[in-house]
Amino acid sequence: MSKAAVDEVRLERLIPAPPEQLFALWVDPVQLAKWWAPDGHEMEVVTLEASPGGRWRNILRGADGGGMAVSGVFRVVDPPRRLAFSWAWEDERGEPGHETEVTVTFEPAPGGARPAVLHHRFATPAGRARHDRGWAASLDRLARLAGG
Amino acid sequence: MPGAELDGVFAALADPTRRAIVERLLDAGELSVGDVAARFAISTPAISWHLQVLERAGLIERRVERQWRFVRVRQDALVAVEDWVSRSRRHWSGALDRLEALAAAQTPDRRKS
Repeated sequence: MSKAAVDEVRLERLIPAPPEQLFALWVDPVQLAKWWAPDGHEMEVVTLEASPGGRWRNILRGADGGGMAVSGVFRVVDPPRRLAFSWAWEDERGEPGHETEVTVTFEPAPGGARPAVLHHRFATPAGRARHDRGWAASLDRLARLAGG
Repeated sequence: MPGAELDGVFAALADPTRRAIVERLLDAGELSVGDVAARFAISTPAISWHLQVLERAGLIERRVERQWRFVRVRQDALVAVEDWVSRSRRHWSGALDRLEALAAAQTPDRRKS
């Protein structure tokens, strides 16, 4: 069995291009739109403020015309080595759903770079704290029910 | 949307100790509560609390045999987690493929040299 945690995705790739180039392809909206969307989808980069605290938002459109928006906030923008951002799919009303976290590192490697993506559900203390509060509220309700 | 239920599952997994418990149960199949406690350097009440949270989230189930209590992972609970993991993996794998292709297209001489 793999040692990866059950609730995270780790991917690594050796790409024959320098970290600087890959980093630039990630934080330039025109370039990002060229590679981010799965085949058969078009993507509009609505917002891309590549600085810590900056927002990002992409809209994906499939062949059937249906759109899905995904958005988040940049946590770390450290060219050309490291990017970290939150990630949440939006519902029909544009409300962000469950927030997950992505960290990308661009390590130099012989002949290019070794970009590594880590996508997991709970990276930030803030996100964890929110969920802990959620649990605390549930426990309070449970305690009231039990005591009532 | 499977939202609320999945959120509960992931909230339960957010805690590193609970995630470790689930991973050990996945390896072992089934363990007695005492065996789970013996593998972690925290108090039995704390383990008991973590097991309650995991059970409430639908991630584990208990079985009682005489005076022994056993716990194991509910396979159906992990379907949603595995689904998220496989979708995310597919997204990033495809994205890195396209990123590589775009980088190569920008520097056509790089591979030849």
